[in-house]
Amino acid sequence: MHGHHDVVAGPALWPAIPVAAVALLHLAGVVRLHRRGVRWPVARSLAGGAGLALLAAALVVPRTGFVAHVAGHLLLAMAAPLLLALAAPVTLALRALPTAGRRRLLGVLRSGPVRVLTRPPVVLALELGGMYAFYLTDLFALAHAHPALMALVDLHMVLAGLLLSVVLVGRDPLPHRPGLVGSLLVLLVAAAGHDVLAKVMYARLLPAHAGSPDEIRLGAQVMYYGGTVVEVAVAVVLMATWYARTGRALARERRRAVRTATVPAARPARG
Amino acid sequence: MDTTTERPAATGRSILAGVLIGVGVAAFIDETVFHQLLHWHHFYDGSTLEAGLVSDGVFHAGGWLAIVVGLFLFADLHRRGTTVPKRVWAGGLLGWGLFQVYDGLFQHKVLGLHQIRYGVELLPYDLAWNLSGAVGAVIGAVLLFGPARPIAARP
Repeated sequence: MHGHHDVVAGPALWPAIPVAAVALLHLAGVVRLHRRGVRWPVARSLAGGAGLALLAAALVVPRTGFVAHVAGHLLLAMAAPLLLALAAPVTLALRALPTAGRRRLLGVLRSGPVRVLTRPPVVLALELGGMYAFYLTDLFALAHAHPALMALVDLHMVLAGLLLSVVLVGRDPLPHRPGLVGSLLVLLVAAAGHDVLAKVMYARLLPAHAGSPDEIRLGAQVMYYGGTVVEVAVAVVLMATWYARTGRALARERRRAVRTATVPAARPARG
Repeated sequence: MDTTTERPAATGRSILAGVLIGVGVAAFIDETVFHQLLHWHHFYDGSTLEAGLVSDGVFHAGGWLAIVVGLFLFADLHRRGTTVPKRVWAGGLLGWGLFQVYDGLFQHKVLGLHQIRYGVELLPYDLAWNLSGAVGAVIGAVLLFGPARPIAARP
């Protein structure tokens, strides 16, 4: 390996610090709720822990070679954000914070910028725009030459992935969350955009200087199929959520139907 | 409740679930059998137009989404007892057949995505691919007509 082709970042441990800080905050929130006698669902804690672990692993393990880089990208930008969105971090924070902090957080969540950032077209532009700019232009080589730029790119990928996951399957309440059909369309555009990018990388051997042609082709295929795995997982979560919600509505409807059919006859017997 | 006539909403949902599952199965067979197991199809064969890459990306993503959504819709119809099996088959065969013909004629030929197989006389493969799809679509279209009942209304 030589020069700026070198993708070895060295054993940089500092990216693990913010991840560990978030993990500690998460833990503190769960402990505080527990002391108050409120049970925070274990599944959510597990999702949060797993998401943060994937994030730390992807940031700390050196991404040697293009295939490893793509694998890291899949974890950072897709798998970890999905798990973090399922952990409902905002709900946890709102419940665990004292009143003043809760008011401040609510103020931020209701502010104009947050409302704009969670609009589907904005989310898609950030997600796909960031990825296309990174993999198809010189930004890839530049970021590998300048660690600070790479850290910014990583941060963008995590946050954009998180926004997309939050809008599609996040367990936190969100104003203007798209309905089922809208969510599926957003997922289709994001998934198709990801697949097209991987094929363009394969066909045009981009990013330039990322490795040998064989490495780039293999990396592009890992991106294509690995992305599909996460996209299918998002689709399953989205549909399972819909299935459970409509199931509850159906059960209510059936109970009401049973009640209206039996109540007039049952009342005299009870009284 | 009238059990002899089908309710239009449930019928439409049965067809929709069928179409989604059909498209999903076609995409699934294409990916697993022809790309991964037989290695007849190529990931990219150098002759693909830009539009081919986009169309392929949309249908690869759409196929997987379709099968997930279709199966959940089917499960929902079943728990309500409103599945109309004949219409599910109609939608399924239509979805599979039309996707197969779209893939065989438009994506392979017009957009030059890739061919069914390389290093062989293509005509029999193309005929088998597109005719099987067309026959499936025709049978599906025929099943859209005539009487059909939801499962709950069956004796």
